[in-house]
Amino acid sequence: MKDSTNGDLSRREFIGGTGAAIVAVNATTATAQDRDAAEARAIAEVPRTRIEITVNGQRQSVDVEDRWTLVELLRDHLGLTGTRIGCNRGECGACTVLIDDEPAYACSTLAVWADGRSIRTVEGVERDGKVSTLQQAFIEHNAPQCGFCTSGQLMSATALLERNPSPTAQEIREALSGNLCRCSNYNAIVEAVQAAVKMGGA
Amino acid sequence: MAVDPMKTLGQDTPRVDAYERVTGRATYNRDIKLPGMLYARVLRSTVPHAMVRRIDTSKAEALPGVRAVMTHETHKIPYGSGSISGGRQYSDPHKDITTRLRYTFNEHVRYVGEPVAAVAAVNRHIAEEALQLIEIEYDELPFVMDVEEAVAAGAPEIWEGGNIAHDSENRQQPIGGQTGDLQAGFSEADQIFEERFTTAFIQDAQLEPRSSLAHWEGDKLILHTPTQGVSNCRHDTARDLGLEDHQVQVVCKYMGGGFGDKNGNYYFDLIAAAFARDLGVPVMVELSRKDDWLGTHGRWHTVQDYRVGVKDDGTVTAIEVNGKSGMGPYLRRSGNVSGMDVYACENTSKAILPVHTNRMVSGNFRAPAYPQGYFAISSMMDDVAYKMGVDPVQFALKNMVRPTETKQFTNYALDQCIAMGAEQFDWQRRWNPNPGSAEGPIKRGAGMSFMMFNARLGASSAIVRAASGGRYTVYVGVTDIGPGAKTTMSMLAAETLDVPLSSVDIVWGDSDRCPYSVGESGSRCTTMTGFAVVEAARDLKRQIDERGLPTGDDVLIASATPAPSTNGKLREGFGAHFAEVEVDTQLGDVRVTKYLTVHESGRILNPLPALDQIRGAVIQGIGQALKEDVLYDTNTGHPLMTGYYFARHLTHLDVPEIENTFIETDDGYGPYGAKTVGESGIIIAPATIANAVYNAIGVRMKDLPITRDKILEAVA
Repeated sequence: MKDSTNGDLSRREFIGGTGAAIVAVNATTATAQDRDAAEARAIAEVPRTRIEITVNGQRQSVDVEDRWTLVELLRDHLGLTGTRIGCNRGECGACTVLIDDEPAYACSTLAVWADGRSIRTVEGVERDGKVSTLQQAFIEHNAPQCGFCTSGQLMSATALLERNPSPTAQEIREALSGNLCRCSNYNAIVEAVQAAVKMGGA
Repeated sequence: MAVDPMKTLGQDTPRVDAYERVTGRATYNRDIKLPGMLYARVLRSTVPHAMVRRIDTSKAEALPGVRAVMTHETHKIPYGSGSISGGRQYSDPHKDITTRLRYTFNEHVRYVGEPVAAVAAVNRHIAEEALQLIEIEYDELPFVMDVEEAVAAGAPEIWEGGNIAHDSENRQQPIGGQTGDLQAGFSEADQIFEERFTTAFIQDAQLEPRSSLAHWEGDKLILHTPTQGVSNCRHDTARDLGLEDHQVQVVCKYMGGGFGDKNGNYYFDLIAAAFARDLGVPVMVELSRKDDWLGTHGRWHTVQDYRVGVKDDGTVTAIEVNGKSGMGPYLRRSGNVSGMDVYACENTSKAILPVHTNRMVSGNFRAPAYPQGYFAISSMMDDVAYKMGVDPVQFALKNMVRPTETKQFTNYALDQCIAMGAEQFDWQRRWNPNPGSAEGPIKRGAGMSFMMFNARLGASSAIVRAASGGRYTVYVGVTDIGPGAKTTMSMLAAETLDVPLSSVDIVWGDSDRCPYSVGESGSRCTTMTGFAVVEAARDLKRQIDERGLPTGDDVLIASATPAPSTNGKLREGFGAHFAEVEVDTQLGDVRVTKYLTVHESGRILNPLPALDQIRGAVIQGIGQALKEDVLYDTNTGHPLMTGYYFARHLTHLDVPEIENTFIETDDGYGPYGAKTVGESGIIIAPATIANAVYNAIGVRMKDLPITRDKILEAVA
């Protein structure tokens, strides 16, 4: 490890010295056991509700904190990380899932509101272990650049083709207008949806 | 000059990781969970300029579930080892001598959004709650938001010694220089024109909000972070923490948008590393959208004053630009303004001052110095052409840079791009020789612009391995931020080895498993790292020819770190853009009804994603032309937009279909003659739109973005 004196404190000293700050923090709780007990109590006090929810065809009963959003439930507690969070406040559409076949922003939907509803995510789009027609078209037409908006675009497009199997280009743009793509790969995404229409639907 | 078809290269090839990207299986940084992992959040300054008088974290520390709180009092970690980060591409000596050190937390806060504290807790709800329990008192200082005011006498000093940013030797001087004889050029001119142009700050606004996950194995730091360059991020992080490069492993498998400013480390990487070191567990720092907006970077805003001398025959004889770039309070990138060298005129002067203000920090965004520079110089020249009574296309062909004895190119195609574009676009029919003369409230017009962009060669490394059964593995330090680098690298290996693409595997995005790559910025990944793949694959093929394919557990390995040069020749990609717009003079709306581009980017290795690099970049450039800005309340120093909503990013409904043609060439340099694609499309898009708006309404729009209010004021 090299010593650099760029700064008031050498960085080697800094790395060695950071432990002191932590001792100070830990000293505010008597022992690790007390700390863990306090944490467990705090978490237990958070209001919770049991909901019945169908996710990608599987009905399940889940104990959720009332403050959890649907995307939080999906990503952090059901392991479905294919749904992305871009803004967490209803601006970008990266978290779009289908609730009873309608596209919705999962970041702006509380998990408790999904009680009794049926949710579809990108993980539920494949059929019999094969990608859907739309997914195949997304692959062939380079619909993802960085790929972060892709799940949301795909879910909005899936809902569109399920209710309208032969949309016009303008209808596609309108249906996907709630899904931002900062790579601005909009032309390719619309072409991919049009190709899926030709290939026979969602 | 056409190119010969090849077996793999030049074929439309879906990305090798497209399946992962369309099924949700691609793992972005926040998808990673490690046992015992804590979540951390950053508290930010609510004032634009102040000294932190008192910071009380006791209530936050007492909140059950909080494991640690960090401030400038507990941790003094230099960030960017001074002010500049970006790995080995920036000089280490500069980092040693800089007198303007930036720390992860600064007692002297200089913008709204500057980190002042961080909390690590057992879950993100508790971390967020704890932030609200931290009490801070500031001694507020006067602040300055405007680049002109920042350098005026009596301006508040953001740094001791004044607000002009330091160069690599701590001097305060403009970027630029002179060529030829400026005064002689102006003396030669029959007419001299002067104009001022301004451009706005543009947030990179990548869709993935940033995060950093750190853990330690003994004295070794393992960092999962969304970066465009694992090698440069490792070097930065090691330097900032006083470690050797080999003590840091940076991993980035997928990341949600690069656009230029992520080829290095960030302060939150250092916060994650320090928390993880202190607490002995993995720690994930997460930025909210607002955090990401305030606490990262965007394209520097500029003020540019042009002076151009022209002869009566339309020949430009002198070009002078004096400008200022707003860098925010810390210098992260250059602040340069480019574009002048696309003109043949030899008498030039450029002086751009990078200036500190109390706005958010500026950094790189796709072709960092170009779209704002080209907007100004191309608008200026367009204006000169009309004033001289010359068709802008003819003015371009007369004044564009050409090869000379002293200015040699590896190949030249600018004239071809302009001519082909004008023909495909039907310029003569769409262009209105009398700007603004169209009848009715909706006025149609056409504009054009032209560019060149350096297709640099340089050092980068690659390893290629052959195993039994005809499997090949490419090891490259790329992360594939969107253009398809993993696919390009695999295709280059397949072509060179003369094997099917399906027999090539790739190991990427890990500084421990991959050799040095310059990373994915500056449109250099294909020309530099791609060339290294070709060299390594050639070596491997020689080995296989001599010794045969390996059998059993045997392998053959080749590595290469070529540092090719063009022997003094310029190696440039060329392009010309043409746009038609309809301007609604009652509502102020601009609708782009046609957008056509011609690019010469050498050989196109994978046409499918190459087209989308151009189209996506053009659309980003249209957003810069018409919509994007970060407005500030100058009374409080607070930004008025901190996310997508008010920043007016283009959606599906706002964009035209972009038509592009590549003129393919092989100049004998780079990997099979490939040049640069990633940044080329954005460079002249704002200029092209602005020139088309002029042709429609007959009023020159000199300030980006060209929003409704400005249009209505112009036509009132």
